[in-house]
Amino acid sequence: MEIDLFSSFQDDAGKKGIVFYYSGALSQNVIATMSDVLKQRLDNNDAKGSVTKKLFSSFIEMIQNALHYSPLVPDSSFEKIGAVAVGKTDEHFYIICGNLVDKKYVSRISEKIEHVNSMTRDEVRLAYRTQLKNEEHSQDEVSKGAGLGLLTLARDSSSAIEYSFKDVPGYENEYSELHLKTLF
Amino acid sequence: MKDLYIPRTSDSPEIDFKFSLNQLNISGEAFPEDANKFFYPVLVGLEDYLNSIDNQDVEFNFHLTYFNSASTKMLFSIFMLLNDSACSSNRIALNWHYDEEDDTIKEFGEDVNEDFPAIDYNPVVTYPA
Repeated sequence: MEIDLFSSFQDDAGKKGIVFYYSGALSQNVIATMSDVLKQRLDNNDAKGSVTKKLFSSFIEMIQNALHYSPLVPDSSFEKIGAVAVGKTDEHFYIICGNLVDKKYVSRISEKIEHVNSMTRDEVRLAYRTQLKNEEHSQDEVSKGAGLGLLTLARDSSSAIEYSFKDVPGYENEYSELHLKTLF
Repeated sequence: MKDLYIPRTSDSPEIDFKFSLNQLNISGEAFPEDANKFFYPVLVGLEDYLNSIDNQDVEFNFHLTYFNSASTKMLFSIFMLLNDSACSSNRIALNWHYDEEDDTIKEFGEDVNEDFPAIDYNPVVTYPA
């Protein structure tokens, strides 16, 4: 970026209501540090306590999901990456999270999200309790959280979970980039 | 038996199990990288302790302000151990502290109360300073 472009980059982020943005390598240390910064940013933005708690909960579920389940970056063989934005519109706070997924899981992930989106609030709460007692999926390597992560997002969000898959240039057959968005 | 103490970190809670006093405390936030690994020694220590006592009054002070979904599963295992012990000869009181604005932890406490009826559940609402 040219030095002159920095202020337009900042203006643009401000206009879009960006409160927090990160893109890059993921590790538990990065997540712990981000969570500290995010809490301070939300305090400064006068977010209500109940909103802050739900937003923080979803932030951790999304970014830990990216850390635990995304494949290693192609040709690096060691690194996990992800991107996350927290922002504010007139009515809502939102989180958008992006990470790589294996192409073969795309339809399965879509089905899981569609299924959770079709549930009522009470159904989500009931499903959460059922999953908590269900130990059978705890050895499932694809989603060892037994679906609790997604149910947590549905529980915390004020509307349906939005999602999309983008092609990864050069790796169209192997990977997709999953974008998830929730509102508060 | 020896008390179990694990200090709080930026992503894991303080575990302060004073087995000698029958007083068990957990506080802080729980979103460690690997919840199973973090909670394993906690569950093992708790199970050994509960197996070693008879006809005792045990107080469990729950003071977590956040726990991720993986930690929730581990907490559920803790309550299972406490409930089993309360079904035998011990009396287990669970003091459930939650922030008045925190519906999630309030409702989770209500679910725990329903799922583990042998535990004496006491909700304690706290107000932000």
